Amino acid sequence: VLHTTRALHTAQQRLAPLPPLPEKGGEVRYGLIPEEFFQFLYPKTGVTGPYMLGTGLLLYFLSKEIYVINHETVAAACILSVIIYGIKKYGSDVAAFADKLNEEKVAKALSVKNEAIKDLETAIEQEKKEQWRVEGCKYLFDSKRNNVAMLLETNYRERLLTVYNEVKKRLDYQVAMQNLKRQKEQDHMIQWVERNVAQSITPQQQKESIAKCILDLKALSKTAQAAV
Amino acid sequence: MNLSFFDQFTSPYLLGIPLILLSVLFPTLLFPTPNNRWVTNRLSTLQLWLLNLITKQLMIPLNKKGHKWALILTSLMILLLTINLLGLLPYTFTPTTQLSMNMALAFPLWLATLLTGLRNQPTTSLGHLLPEGTPTPLIPALIMIETASLLIRPLALGVRLTANLTAGHLLIQLIST
Repeated sequence: VLHTTRALHTAQQRLAPLPPLPEKGGEVRYGLIPEEFFQFLYPKTGVTGPYMLGTGLLLYFLSKEIYVINHETVAAACILSVIIYGIKKYGSDVAAFADKLNEEKVAKALSVKNEAIKDLETAIEQEKKEQWRVEGCKYLFDSKRNNVAMLLETNYRERLLTVYNEVKKRLDYQVAMQNLKRQKEQDHMIQWVERNVAQSITPQQQKESIAKCILDLKALSKTAQAAV
Repeated sequence: MNLSFFDQFTSPYLLGIPLILLSVLFPTLLFPTPNNRWVTNRLSTLQLWLLNLITKQLMIPLNKKGHKWALILTSLMILLLTINLLGLLPYTFTPTTQLSMNMALAFPLWLATLLTGLRNQPTTSLGHLLPEGTPTPLIPALIMIETASLLIRPLALGVRLTANLTAGHLLIQLIST
């Protein structure tokens, strides 16, 4: 209740950190009389000393009528029994409730700290993942580069082919032209020769050739008859 | 020490020294002073929990400005509660059975509320003298009645506490014989 837990003028007064609360309060016997009283009387009177003292005092007060038994005594007895019954029955529950209040307070503060730690840890993991992803980007860029090179190569080949085809078409045209020209010249020459030959055949020559053909035919017919 | 029924209501004197101040201040010793620890022992935790509960119940309906009254009202409530409960034990003296103490509590507080109301919102506080919805002919009579009730209030408050406690204690005495 009173602040007697501070060491009396032995050290500098320090406000923080506060000394920790002791685990258990002072030991009392029968809830009222501290244990130190019994220990104080023990060397002189042994174990039963304080009890004899108490009984003697009580009987002295009663017999000399220093304490008069009146109606308030009865009231005192009733009230005392009710109080003791209440404490015995609900004392541990009340203590547990007080402890729970303290626990909740501490747990709330701890949860703030733990959640902050967890959030930071997830942030660290995500950061590491992002770094791993960045490393993987190199391969991505290499493949993209290869892709682009291939596209360029293909395009170049296609254009080369187009050029080749165009040039071939032009040359083919020239060749075809020359062929055509020669053909035409040939045909023209043949026709001219035939026309001239046909013109040069006089009727005289025609008759002579026909008579010769008839003689040949007769000769052939003779030999042919012979073969059959 | 022959006790009659009314001996418990006499103000205690020891060799001519009035002990009334001691009996008023004694209940304060039973409450541990809130120290600057964050996690306290069980008694302090329970006391803080109780104070928080009472203050919240008192102050939730009020707006921010009304929270100025939190300290005096809560401490007054806890003091009266402790004094009255301790008076139930035998051979104890309850200061609140003395009319003088109750009037000393009632008069200043009532006057404080009245003057605060008149100072900050004079029209509203005077308007409280007339309940809503009264028929017009009754208005003068009602204002007189309300004023009288306002002025009687401290007397009523003081006497109420005294009478209740005295009757209760006397009843305990009667039943226990």
